[in-house]
Amino acid sequence: MSDGSDAGVGKPARVEFGQLKSEDAVRRTANALVANGIPAIVAESRSEARDLVRSLLPGGAEVFNNTSRTLQSAGVDDDIERSGRYQPLRLRLYQMDREMQAREMRSLAASPDYVVGSVHAVTEGGSLLIASASGSQLGPIVSGAGHVILIVGGQKIVPDVDAGIRRIYEYSWPLEDQRAREVYGVPSGVNNILIINRAVAEARITTILVNEILGF
Amino acid sequence: MSLFDYDNRPATPGIILAGTAISAEAYRIRDFLSRNSLQYEWVEITDTQRVRALLGNGDFMTLPLPVCILPDGTRLSPATLEQVASGLGMDSGPLLSEYDLAVVGAGPAGLAAGVYAASEGLRTLMVEAVAPGGQAGTTSMIENYLGFPNGISGGELATRAVAQARRFGAEILLARPFVGLEPESDVYQCQLSDGTTFLARTILLASGVEWRRLEVPGVEDLLGAGVYYGAGPSEAIGCSGGQVVVVGGGNSAGQAVVRFSRYASRVVLVVRSDHLASSMSKYLSDRIAAIPNIEVRTGSEVVGVHADGYLREVLIEARDTSASDSVGADALFICIGGVPRTDAVRSVGLAIDDSGYIPTGRDVGSFGSSHLWSMSRPPLLLETSLPGLFAAGDVRRGSIKRCAAAVGEGSMSVALIHQRLAEIGGE
Repeated sequence: MSDGSDAGVGKPARVEFGQLKSEDAVRRTANALVANGIPAIVAESRSEARDLVRSLLPGGAEVFNNTSRTLQSAGVDDDIERSGRYQPLRLRLYQMDREMQAREMRSLAASPDYVVGSVHAVTEGGSLLIASASGSQLGPIVSGAGHVILIVGGQKIVPDVDAGIRRIYEYSWPLEDQRAREVYGVPSGVNNILIINRAVAEARITTILVNEILGF
Repeated sequence: MSLFDYDNRPATPGIILAGTAISAEAYRIRDFLSRNSLQYEWVEITDTQRVRALLGNGDFMTLPLPVCILPDGTRLSPATLEQVASGLGMDSGPLLSEYDLAVVGAGPAGLAAGVYAASEGLRTLMVEAVAPGGQAGTTSMIENYLGFPNGISGGELATRAVAQARRFGAEILLARPFVGLEPESDVYQCQLSDGTTFLARTILLASGVEWRRLEVPGVEDLLGAGVYYGAGPSEAIGCSGGQVVVVGGGNSAGQAVVRFSRYASRVVLVVRSDHLASSMSKYLSDRIAAIPNIEVRTGSEVVGVHADGYLREVLIEARDTSASDSVGADALFICIGGVPRTDAVRSVGLAIDDSGYIPTGRDVGSFGSSHLWSMSRPPLLLETSLPGLFAAGDVRRGSIKRCAAAVGEGSMSVALIHQRLAEIGGE
């Protein structure tokens, strides 16, 4: 595995990792995820995925939406932050005093009732790979959050974990780095990678595999 | 800062508010958005680069200020607080025509009553003029509230209470002042500022207090232009590196100086009494004494301000010697106690004491009202001179001005409200 230096920066994203995989591959992957204790639902489109998220989130739930192009393009961010159906944690954290309420902010961000996010790769063997520059979203996904819902575009399916790591470095990172420079004015980095091979707590993590290209 | 996920900023567009630093209306809107936990970006109109980046290359310099752009793209110019609240969909009416309980004010007392009443199945409507939390809602850190060993901010406490009340089914109307009521046999006809009416079988007045005005020439003209009542969260970051003066000797003033000391280079606390400990909790006065960039001026008062359209200096006078000196100030926060909010109920002739507080229970008989107590039983513990109209929290005569005490009164009122509802039938 690379050490997370600047191996991917400046290089174009590898096109093969951005191509939608076959419906067969999606189905195989879904079955493998289920076998690993991670319920998987296949959605035909981003709007179906959005409806599924709505049906999975109880009204009034405390929800953290991870920064994700997938969530943004599926309209899930809008639902969480603007519909009034949930308690959006991001809005709450944003309003808090960084100096006086740092401890409260840490606890809130670390243990939401629900986290909704995405992954950077999912293997046909049913492993999930998520890269993170700060690592802040990884703790809640591993164990902090009560429930985790991950929406995954059909182009993120890879044969195995090695290919998943290559996808992160050769596809997701260059695109995310470009986005971070545009939006935040700073580079991104593959500083942390989470690999979930199996979920022990039954049905804590739910994946929605979408037969459509979504996110990085 | 970057990155895949480091940034906790909301993912959806927020509200953009552009104007001049000296605009009182812009300050009202900022304070309202901030206290309602609504995400917004404030842009000084003089920052042309930022204005263009956020608002595009339009003719913003010629638009009436402040300009507010809502998340759906609606542009308000000049924006008013009422337009902003309405544009954000905060003007929906009550869902029912009649409620078992109407709570006036969503501070600690009102929120506690809302939670308990709704959890016990009462049809409960809460009406709040500005934002949840009341005076406590703007407090940066309450460290002696039971159950929070590391402290909790007033805003966070209010956010949790609102979620809790809603979960039990209470309705909460925000940015909707309660303006009047009329007794009609065993119910009250209630009216909101926009003309909305509804019936309530009982009412809890938990409208709290507003900040007492500082009677110093020039201060009112600078409202929003460096002078602020209370110490709302919207202005704290704006004090970074600056000099701040806070007036007041209570816990609100104490919590404000601790908060500002994190941002400002120097904070001066002006207190009329000779000892801080006489009006402030010891943990706070100890904390203040240990913070090097806070200067406490006891036995002193603010007697003047100097400004050039925006506050520049505050004149402080020692009460015993009348010696005065000017302190450079980028902001003056006034936290000098409260005046009870009772305007909405004065027209019905409710008994009110000389300071404007509402007597309840045994106290009722000692104060005049335009009507006689009409029941064979005496008023219940938190009942006012009108049967079925209760009062709790800071607005009540004799209440202890502490957040936990207000929560206690709000909670207790629900047991008394049950008694009243049983009396008029239908419980």
